[in-house]
Amino acid sequence: MIQMKDVSKIYENGTMALDHVSIDIEKGEFVFLVGASGAGKSTFIKLLLREELPTEGELRVAGRDVVSMPRSEVPYLRRGLGVIFQDYRLLPDKTVFENVAFAMQVIEAPRRLMQRSVNAVLDVVGLRDKYKCFPRQLSGGEQQRVAIARAIVNDPAIVIADEPTGNLDPETSWDIMDIFERINRAGTTIVMATHDRNIVDAMKRRVIAIEDGHVVRDEARGGYGYEA
Amino acid sequence: MKLRTSEYFIQETFRSLRRNNWMSFASIGTVAVSLFVLGVFLLLVLNMNRLASSLESQVQISVYLEDGLSESARKDIASDIEALQGIEEIRYVPKAEAKERLAERLGDQKYLLDALGEKNPLPDSFEVVLKSPDLVETAATAITRMDGVEQAKYGQDVIEHLFAITRLIRIFGFALMVLLAGATLFIISNTIRLTVFARRKEVAIMKYVGATDWFIRWPFLLEGMVLGFVGGVLAAIALQSFYAAMASKIYETLAFFPLLPQVPYMYYVSIAILLAGMGIGALGSTISLKRFLKV
Repeated sequence: MIQMKDVSKIYENGTMALDHVSIDIEKGEFVFLVGASGAGKSTFIKLLLREELPTEGELRVAGRDVVSMPRSEVPYLRRGLGVIFQDYRLLPDKTVFENVAFAMQVIEAPRRLMQRSVNAVLDVVGLRDKYKCFPRQLSGGEQQRVAIARAIVNDPAIVIADEPTGNLDPETSWDIMDIFERINRAGTTIVMATHDRNIVDAMKRRVIAIEDGHVVRDEARGGYGYEA
Repeated sequence: MKLRTSEYFIQETFRSLRRNNWMSFASIGTVAVSLFVLGVFLLLVLNMNRLASSLESQVQISVYLEDGLSESARKDIASDIEALQGIEEIRYVPKAEAKERLAERLGDQKYLLDALGEKNPLPDSFEVVLKSPDLVETAATAITRMDGVEQAKYGQDVIEHLFAITRLIRIFGFALMVLLAGATLFIISNTIRLTVFARRKEVAIMKYVGATDWFIRWPFLLEGMVLGFVGGVLAAIALQSFYAAMASKIYETLAFFPLLPQVPYMYYVSIAILLAGMGIGALGSTISLKRFLKV
């Protein structure tokens, strides 16, 4: 699903964010990306979304060659990826339903699918009865669940989450992880960058640790580790 | 484009026009003023061109005779003229008739002639009509050389001056237009920049969920085009009344002036103005999208 071969990323200011990184992530995997801030996790995610291009190396995401892809194809790459951020990024003047439907609207999905798909994903995240609420009426955990619903409503092959529990208390974080687990069980690949040691240790999933732009550890059923 | 999508674009467009009402208002005003000026110059140039071509197609020469010419001398001149190539008609206009005609043309301002009393400074003349406008110049030159002829006037010698004036108007109008278009572009692109800024979160999300560049651009482009269009409509309306007022003024004093009729020329000018408005609007949006969206 994600094939990264010898990828390096050097920013224009000379910062080497990734240094010859090779990672293979298979369909259906659940992968934690751990490492200190500035270690290269964000760059890794930006490369997957093609917000940034690798300086060198090969990268294939969801069957597409990200490096040689023309700009005009980027939207179609992203339609196969669901993204979730630490700060939720919901639109404050749209309701829960509208926020989720927005993701379908902007890719011009058929209208008749919209109602059904949005309701289905709101069921998955347990917010069906709050569909009329505005984000400010929701708790942080609920807002993040709306963001998850928006990320999965177009049925992406990969869900990419950047510190999704970073702003949440432990209990709420577990609710979120529970949802991720269910999404993963349905066959969706999940890549989650996180600082949350408890979650990583408890989930016993594949852990890729990045440090100074290098992969320092890649374990099938790992823990957070001690170095961070 | 799907129906549902265009619905969405239109909604978004009007929502942000309302949100930026102040800037929208300023943009529309600037567009309207600029386009109005454009329209005035357009009408001016069109009318000048028309005047020039109507003068060019004139086949008449006015031959003014020297004062105190004997009747036989006059008849000699007449027959000399008739002997020239391509003469259709020749008519004698005595000075008395010339004065009457002038009085007629002056209309309300006939009293100007009263100051002259019984005196008549106008010369006797011939009106010579030729078969074709191409022959006018040669004939006029030949006539001027004849004895007893003071001068031979025809439309074409006015044309050179007219062209000089038209050229000036064009250059001046063009320079003014470039300036105004620049100002209009600036204010429209600023308005759109505000819109882009107000919607930057939305735009970021759109990009993450895979909206195409064009899907993101359309509402902004439409907003710019609506601003330009509304400005254009205002300019066209103002221009219409301006031209009507000018036309009646001109007909009062210069009845012979071959002014362009309002129909259909005002339609052409209005359409040009609307297209120019929408073009400027779209261009203004494109500029700010390029700089601030990087889609």
